[in-house]
Amino acid sequence: MAAFLASCGIEGQSQDADSEENAGLTTDQVNGTLNFANWPLYIDRAKGENPTLIDFTEATDIEVNYDEVIQANDSFFGTIREPLANGDPIDYDLIVVTDWLIARMGRLGYLEELDHSKLGNFDANAGAIYKDPNYDPGNTYSIPWQSGITGIAYNRALTGRDFTSMSDLFDTEFAGKIGMFTEMRDTISLMLLLNGVELDSATIEDVEEVQQQLLQQVDDGIVRQYYGNEYADALAREDIVATIAWSGDVIQLTLDNPDLRFVVPDDGGILWVDNMAIPQNAVNPIDAHEFMNFVYQPDIAAQIVGWVNYICPVPDAQEILADTKGYKPVAESPLVFPTPEMETKLHRYKVLDEDEEQEWNDLFQQVLQG
Amino acid sequence: MFTMLSTSFQEGTFEGGFTFTGHWQNYTESFAAFDTQIYRSLLYGLIVTVATLLISFPMVYWIAFRGGRRKNLYLLLLLLPFFTPFIIRTLAWKQILADNGILLGSLKNAGLVPEDLQLLATSTAVLGGLIYNFLPFMALPLYVALERLDHSLLDAASDLYSTRRQAFFKVTLPLAMPGVFAGSLLTFIPSVGDFINAELLGSVNTTMIGNVIQREFQTNLDFPTGSALSFVLMIGILVGVFLYARALGTEDLTG
Repeated sequence: MAAFLASCGIEGQSQDADSEENAGLTTDQVNGTLNFANWPLYIDRAKGENPTLIDFTEATDIEVNYDEVIQANDSFFGTIREPLANGDPIDYDLIVVTDWLIARMGRLGYLEELDHSKLGNFDANAGAIYKDPNYDPGNTYSIPWQSGITGIAYNRALTGRDFTSMSDLFDTEFAGKIGMFTEMRDTISLMLLLNGVELDSATIEDVEEVQQQLLQQVDDGIVRQYYGNEYADALAREDIVATIAWSGDVIQLTLDNPDLRFVVPDDGGILWVDNMAIPQNAVNPIDAHEFMNFVYQPDIAAQIVGWVNYICPVPDAQEILADTKGYKPVAESPLVFPTPEMETKLHRYKVLDEDEEQEWNDLFQQVLQG
Repeated sequence: MFTMLSTSFQEGTFEGGFTFTGHWQNYTESFAAFDTQIYRSLLYGLIVTVATLLISFPMVYWIAFRGGRRKNLYLLLLLLPFFTPFIIRTLAWKQILADNGILLGSLKNAGLVPEDLQLLATSTAVLGGLIYNFLPFMALPLYVALERLDHSLLDAASDLYSTRRQAFFKVTLPLAMPGVFAGSLLTFIPSVGDFINAELLGSVNTTMIGNVIQREFQTNLDFPTGSALSFVLMIGILVGVFLYARALGTEDLTG
C-alpha cells in the first residue's frame, strides 16, 4: 500500500518547467487571432461592444476572442495550473493577472519572455514607475494593463469624521462596522506600513506582530467581516462604515453615494499592478504582442481608462481625457492619475519567495479562521 | 481518491514539489490547527439536521395527510424557491438580512428590534442559510415515507382503541423512520462540508472546515494539508453515519 501511494507523488513544479523555458515562442508570425482572458468590467464598453477591441481589429486584422473569465487571481491560477505545469498551451494567448502572481508564474516558467522590439509604444509611453518593477525586473514577462491603489474607504456621513490612517480601523467607536480584506498581501502590507515597516525589508517577526494586532482587532469585536470583492456591496448597503478598499471600486460607488470617500492612509498605501502576460506555449504570441503594443498608444489608453477608472500606465492619456468632452472629472481625479505627492505615499507589495509566502499565509490564515 | 490519500502523506512545497514521506504529521498538525473548525462544522451539521427535521416534519405531514387533491401543488410551492441556483439564493439572503435591509431596516424603523441588531456575519445567519438551503433534502424523503403510509393501518389502530396520539407514535412515526434516516444523511453530510453559507453570511468566527479546505487548496497551495483535512472530515462523517445507522437499526427499516 505504502509503495503504491509513494508512486503517485507530485513532481516539482518549477523543475520540469525549466526545460520549456528556452524553447521560445511557438511562432514568429501574426496568426490573425487573439484569445484574451480578462476580468469583468475591465475594458471600455459602449452599446454592448468594446470600442478598443473593434479599433484593434480594424487596425491589425486580428480577430479578438474576449473572455471575461478571471474572477480572482487564486481561482484563475487554479484553472490554468495543470496544463501549464504539463507544458501544454492554455486556451488564452493573453492574460491579465496581478503583480505577485506574475512573479510566481515567472519563477515557475509558466510565462513567455516578451520581445520588447515589438513593444515600442510601451518603451515610449509607459510611466516611469511602470518600468522595471520589483515583481518583474526588466519587464521580462509582463507589462501593465491597469493598476490601482489599496487604501481605506469610509462613509463620511456615518463616521462623522475623516479617516487618515489604518489606526482608524481599530477605533472601538465603530466596533462591528469595520471591514478588512481576505487578500493576505493587502491587509498585511497596510498593517506593516502602519507599524512603520518598510515593505521590502519586512521580516517574519514584523508579520507576527501584525498578526497579533489583527487577532486583537477581531477579539475586540471591531471587525465585522473579512471581505473579498463583496466588500463594495457591504459598504454601499451601510453594513460597514469603513473598510480596506480598492480605488477603482470606490470611484464607481461615489457616483451613487457622494458620502463615500477613498483615502490613501498617511502611513502609506499600496500601488498594485495588473499585468498583461503571455502564457507559456500560447498559440498566438505575436498577435498578443501586437495588442500589448496597441493599447500603449495614448488615445487608446485614454479610451480604456476613461471607462474603467483605474490607474492608467500611460501618463499622456490624462491630457487627452482632459480635452475630451465629459471626461474632465476622470482626468482630474487623483485616484486615476495620482498626483506626485500621492505617489510618494504609495508602496509596492514585497516580492515573497515561496517559503515566505507560505509563512505569511499561515499566519494570516489563523486570523481568518477565528 | 487514492491521489488524495497519497497527497495527504506528502510533504514539501508547490514550487519545489511534494514528496511522499508516509508520516502522519499532516494529520496531527492540521487537526491540531483546525480542531475548532472541525467541531464547529459537526455542531452546525447536527443543528441543521435537527432543525430541518423539526420544520419539515409537520409541513410534509400536513401535505401528505391533509393535502387532498392539491398535494402536488403544495409540494411544488415547497420546492419553488429551489429552482434558483444555490449561490443566488444565498446572495439574496445577504440582501434581505442586511443591517438596514428590507427585513431589519423595516423592523428597526418600527421600533420592534434594537437599533444595533445585526444578523449578517453571525452564526445565526449561517445556520439560517444552511437550514433554508438544505430543507428540501429533508422534506422530500420524509414526504415519500409519509405518502406511502398505508392509511388502513391508522384505521386499524383506532379500531383497537388507540388515541390519535398513540397511533401517531406507534404507527406513523416508526413507519416514517426510513424517511427520517435518509433525510438526516442527505442534510447532515453536505451541510458539514458546506462553505458557501459561511463564506457569504458568516464572519471570521463562523469559519467552517469547508472554508479552511478551500483556502488550503486554492490560496495556500498546500495540497497535503488540504487532503489530510478532507480525509479527516470524510472519516468523521463515515463514523458518525455508521453509529447513527447502528443506533437506528436501518436493516429493519429499509430491508
